[in-house]
Amino acid sequence: MKRIFTISGLVLFCFLFINAAFAQTAVKGTVTDATTGETLIGVSVSIKGTTSGTQTDVNGTYTLTAPAGAVLTFTYIGYTTQSVPVNGQALLNIKMLASASQLDQVVVIGYGVQRKIDNTGSTVAVKGTEIAKQASTNPLSALQGKVPGVNIINSGSPGSSPQISIRGLGTVYGNVSPLFVVDGVWYSDISFLNNNDIENVTVLKDASSTAIYGIRAANGVVLITTKHGVKGRTVINYNGYAGWQSVTNQVKMANATEYATAINELVVYNNNIGDPADAKPPLFANPASYGKGTDWYGQILRNAFVTNHQVSISGGNEKTTYELSFGYLDQDGLVRNNNYKRYTLHISNDFTPVKALKIGYSANGLYSISNDPPGGIFHQLFSASPTLPVFYADGKYGDPADYGTGNGNNFNPEATLDFNNQRSVNHRLTGDVHAELSILKNLKFKTSFGGDIGQAESRGFTPIYSATAAQNSKNTSLDLAHTENRNWIWENTLTYDYKYKEHKLTALVGYSAQNNSAYQRTASADNVPYAKNGNMYTSFPAGDSVSYARDAGAQIHNRALSQFARVNYSFADKYLLNASIRHDGASQFYPNPYGWFPSVGAGWVVTNESFMKSQHFIDVLKLRGSFGKVGNSVVPINPSVQTVAADPYLTAIFGGVPVQGASINSIVPPVTVWEKAQGTDAGLEAGFLNNKLTFEADYYIRKTEDAIFAIPVLASIGTNSGSLIGNQASIQNKGFEFSLTWKDSPNRDFSYSISGNIGVNANKVLTVQSGKNPIYSGGNGIANGNLATRTVVGEPIGEFYGYKVTGIFQTKAQVAASAQKATTAQPGDFIYQDTDHDGSITSKDRVVLGNPNPKVNYGFNTSFTYKQFDLAIDMQGVAGVDVYNANIGYRFGNENFTQDFYDHRWHGAGTSNTYPSTFVGANDNSKPNSFFVESGAYFRVRNAQLGYTLPGNSLKKYGVQKIRFYANAQNAINIFGYKGFTPEIGGGVGSLGIDDSVYPLYATYNFGVNVTF
Amino acid sequence: MKISKKLLQKALGLSFIAAIMIFQGCKKTFLDVNPAGNVAATQFWKTQSDATQAVSAMYANLHEWTNIAFAPIAVESMGSDDVNKGSTAADAAFMNDFHNFSASAGEGQISDFWGGEYKTINFANQILDNVPAISMDASLKSRYLAEAKFIRAWCYFRLVRAFGDVPLRLHVPKSASEYNIPRTPKAQVWTAIETDLTDAAGVLPQSYAAADVGHVTKGAALALHAKAALYQKKWADVVNYTNQVMGLGYTLFTNYEKMFRTENKNNSESIFEIQCALIPNNPNASNSQYSQVQGVDGSTGGGWGFNVPSASLVAAYESGDPRKDATIIFRGETTPEGDVIPATGNSTMYNQKSYVPFGLYVSGFNEGCQQNKIALRYADVLLMNAEANNEMGNSAAALIPLEQVRARARTGTSPAANVLPKVTTTDQAALRLAIYNERRVELALEFDRYFDVIRQGRAKELFGSRGWTTGKNEVWPLPQNEIDLSAGTLVQNPNY
Repeated sequence: MKRIFTISGLVLFCFLFINAAFAQTAVKGTVTDATTGETLIGVSVSIKGTTSGTQTDVNGTYTLTAPAGAVLTFTYIGYTTQSVPVNGQALLNIKMLASASQLDQVVVIGYGVQRKIDNTGSTVAVKGTEIAKQASTNPLSALQGKVPGVNIINSGSPGSSPQISIRGLGTVYGNVSPLFVVDGVWYSDISFLNNNDIENVTVLKDASSTAIYGIRAANGVVLITTKHGVKGRTVINYNGYAGWQSVTNQVKMANATEYATAINELVVYNNNIGDPADAKPPLFANPASYGKGTDWYGQILRNAFVTNHQVSISGGNEKTTYELSFGYLDQDGLVRNNNYKRYTLHISNDFTPVKALKIGYSANGLYSISNDPPGGIFHQLFSASPTLPVFYADGKYGDPADYGTGNGNNFNPEATLDFNNQRSVNHRLTGDVHAELSILKNLKFKTSFGGDIGQAESRGFTPIYSATAAQNSKNTSLDLAHTENRNWIWENTLTYDYKYKEHKLTALVGYSAQNNSAYQRTASADNVPYAKNGNMYTSFPAGDSVSYARDAGAQIHNRALSQFARVNYSFADKYLLNASIRHDGASQFYPNPYGWFPSVGAGWVVTNESFMKSQHFIDVLKLRGSFGKVGNSVVPINPSVQTVAADPYLTAIFGGVPVQGASINSIVPPVTVWEKAQGTDAGLEAGFLNNKLTFEADYYIRKTEDAIFAIPVLASIGTNSGSLIGNQASIQNKGFEFSLTWKDSPNRDFSYSISGNIGVNANKVLTVQSGKNPIYSGGNGIANGNLATRTVVGEPIGEFYGYKVTGIFQTKAQVAASAQKATTAQPGDFIYQDTDHDGSITSKDRVVLGNPNPKVNYGFNTSFTYKQFDLAIDMQGVAGVDVYNANIGYRFGNENFTQDFYDHRWHGAGTSNTYPSTFVGANDNSKPNSFFVESGAYFRVRNAQLGYTLPGNSLKKYGVQKIRFYANAQNAINIFGYKGFTPEIGGGVGSLGIDDSVYPLYATYNFGVNVTF
Repeated sequence: MKISKKLLQKALGLSFIAAIMIFQGCKKTFLDVNPAGNVAATQFWKTQSDATQAVSAMYANLHEWTNIAFAPIAVESMGSDDVNKGSTAADAAFMNDFHNFSASAGEGQISDFWGGEYKTINFANQILDNVPAISMDASLKSRYLAEAKFIRAWCYFRLVRAFGDVPLRLHVPKSASEYNIPRTPKAQVWTAIETDLTDAAGVLPQSYAAADVGHVTKGAALALHAKAALYQKKWADVVNYTNQVMGLGYTLFTNYEKMFRTENKNNSESIFEIQCALIPNNPNASNSQYSQVQGVDGSTGGGWGFNVPSASLVAAYESGDPRKDATIIFRGETTPEGDVIPATGNSTMYNQKSYVPFGLYVSGFNEGCQQNKIALRYADVLLMNAEANNEMGNSAAALIPLEQVRARARTGTSPAANVLPKVTTTDQAALRLAIYNERRVELALEFDRYFDVIRQGRAKELFGSRGWTTGKNEVWPLPQNEIDLSAGTLVQNPNY
């Protein structure tokens, strides 16, 4: 087995000195793994003290011309660096020792690379191969469980980007996502990347590692390097798989007979508290006559086919290297007719026209077409009445109106699906061009210009149709949305490397400018003829009632201008000091746009002390600590700039004609700045038993100061928002992270690694300028405008807040004797705790019900190789987290119930003291309360892959270097107690963990092949 | 090709320095970017068009949710004996707290109503503070200012009758020190209302060209002034202002039922009407939910079925009064517009004055979003005139407008003579009751009954069985949130 692994950026690390040339001799050789004998591809070979060097090719061989007395340095990730004197030899075969320890690795840091041993921050690198293994369409999903302290939530509609937060929530109003830097270019999402095009991912967690990114660093930084070519023979790689997605852990719904029974009960409860004159008979005369009825999930969902192909070509020579890849993904959605096709292109080219100059570029293109599923279809499946047939015997759609089931489930999901016609098309081009020049001895200048041009369109078409009483349209209508973004970033750095005796120093200064803009427009028209798959605009705007609109909030234009500097110093590889500072200006905060972001980190490599040399138990022991200040500029734009409101709702009607109005309905704080985060990190890294066992631990405190926080203001001021936002709070996250890895290769046939990691985080609002005024939020999925979360000083952000259920009323006498209003409460309702003992249930009786911020994230990642077989199993989980199951109580009428609810419901005295009656969505029962809060803990086998590689030489004559077959299962095993679909619930800050989405959890199974020519 | 290394080094080194210098040079302007999407407030209040937009925004807010839907139902209607909550028993059960007078200061509808009125007041104050400095057509400017004064008076009228003393804001607060102000005694609030209305009536035109219909008129200012006087029992003023309105040419619309249909918007009887419309492809602007929340539930194109007529209202109609059928949709009936109302709805009766025929419903829009809400109409003015004249002892003068209202109601019935006999009594007490009842049935479900009964001093008698308590329920509580935020500056109404 050969390894193809390189980082182009590594090369610059090798060019430490420029030397005068003397007598030259040609040297060549092969580099192999000392234990396995495998050839190693892409090993950096450099002549010590010069900028000259090369890399091993696909056969592990290298050729270069070196002075006879030169010393060659061999560097390779995961292996111990070797320096070998040439001594006039023409053939120099090298066996490299796998360092097993990650500590000797070179890691990617902001604007450069560094030996991991020299790093004083908390960073975690994940190899591209680990990400490519997973059948996820977004590379972020693949990081789940790999990095302690990183919380990734794969939720939302299938295909949507996962949510990521690093070391807890540090902002209430800003974006919690980290900054993504791909090949030096800044992005706020990386959905455009194909997993297979990623060389490696590095997560920077502590403030000293991220501070070089200043105003965007507060939520952490994720650095991604894409694949670049390697000098040597042309390598062609094909990776393809096909498989399917299927729903797992499906929530069972009540069948038709059970449903009819439950609804008849509900009618009685409604009659009980209503005007006797309005009393109604049971809705279903004979529940048993409906049998099992329609299984709506079975009707609409399917096992969805997915196939993915990726071809890449890479290679190069002394002057040029290249990498070109093309990817095609065709993924069916779980909902019938839903399909997503994605084409990706990745190109990178690097040239070395003269020794001192390297220029290159990389580019990523994406084109995708999606036949979108109907919005709200999942909720319809959850609500739909099983008594409703899909079609009547005469072929007409089953109409909920014929059953009088009323609001909430007055849709036939099949009709919703059949008349849905929405397509989305996405174009995106990202990339950078860069040049690097050695100006003087040890002094390098790098300039890089990156850009991101994106265009997203969606088109919805409603035909003339008549399916049911609520699903019909008398005219056609067309809706279009068009979004564009154009960003650029230009960065220039000067790097100086200096070494004197045992002193090593790398200094960096840089200058950066960037510009981000985004535009969005929507348009619609009625009575437009249907153009099938043609140009989205062909038939537009030839219709009636044409309207164009732009959402003010979706228009973005901002700029940044920054200067930064960093020094990395080490003495005798024992004492480490890293310091950086960034001066950032962001137009969002004009006229006070500038801020300073300093950081410092120190480390002590204990094992390099002479007193440790005599022991052989500990190979590496490093203690490190860091402190830094960083900023979060991704907060509400220009909060101090009062703007004119011109929302559609401000449209007046005069003479029957709409007239758009505009005025001022806000107040703004005098000055608002970015949020400032202060991070303190203390860590320990250790390697034992020849680095078979490695260990890393971190303790951190991350404090956001000047956090943007809304303070409610008097409604009589007449502002629209009812609050004044500003830098008015501080928020703290603190926690521990541990990771432990055991790697061993007992013999040539067998090697394995087992690693585990865990992150523990506690979140708390420390202060709010106005004191104890809470922010209530989280109204999604909660009936009657009630809010389910509260953010207040001394507590975590967005805790669930509401009434504590102490039981279920069994009798009328019990209701009458309670603190609840006998006029509205009845047997079967929740009994709420009268927290303040005032004899009545008021909003003052609400208590904290749970915390949606996970306390613990953990992962187990294992890999085994035995002869031609390889097996990797990744497991992952979350503990100490609560979710709010809003779906149970979010009812408008006669929606269906889950089987669990039906089976346990109260339906007469003594039937249940925990589950309420079917009246659960009504009256005071629907108010946020403890019944709806459940543990969100889960454990999952995130990914399992078994591979078989054909024995080495058998296919060489066909030009095939390697062929591997594999089978992969993602999300195959999920263990949780939560009664909803999945406990992995996303949501914005303030509504995090409220489950109102009813997206089923799905597993992906696929079979693939990997061929290298 | 050989490139001189030194030259290249120099060139790139220089370009780096040049780049930094260029950026340093334009650093000041580089970061001065106007926020995209929104116009900065500093760019506003410059032109006549800005003034026009601000006036439009103020009117637009009148058909927004808290001004026209749930909050007004709770605060201005649910307490009356004309209505029940409606919908399913459990749906929005908090509405019952307004019917049973158990609503606490924490009820969301109280803060919605309060906030909704003050939002409109802010839009009016923005105009009154900023438009005077705009260089624009002078007569249009004074009209805009008069319109803003009317709207401000309208909002304070709604606030003062719901809450009593309220913070009186006649300017946009300029700094944090002006945010937190105490309640102004209601007498002063009434004075401010009357001052605004006097100013407005002096400037506003009697009518507008077709394109401007919907702007408030002189008649609206006088009619609202009369109503403000009515609530203060300033009978002579009521007579004075109603007489002025009666001289402006308004006439009662012949067909009582059709008066409330969309084809008869801004008819001859309408004095102040909240303008609403279904704007194709713009559901956000077509945001009135006035008709939707009161619409027949269970029918596509109907609505949510709240604020439904009560048995007490049905009983209030004199035998054969055609206004009963015109005001109330009975479950199972077929409306004059041909809609069949299912016999299975949640309520036995629905509000017909807010009703929009189901055929006008467009998927994706609020049901009935095209329905205007008539806020002041001529029959109201006539009945105010009758009531005030009677209170002043001029019962003969009171009988004339009263008969005008009854005569219109009689129109179209057959045989006409058999229903709604002419009221002839000149006994002040008997006539008072006749006018009260006429007012109840004529203006039923038009959001006046609850406060009418209170100002007539009959609330304990008529609402007491539902829990109405003297010394407490004359006003609703101030929103608890507002009291909390004021940190002691605002004092709650007694007994809440």
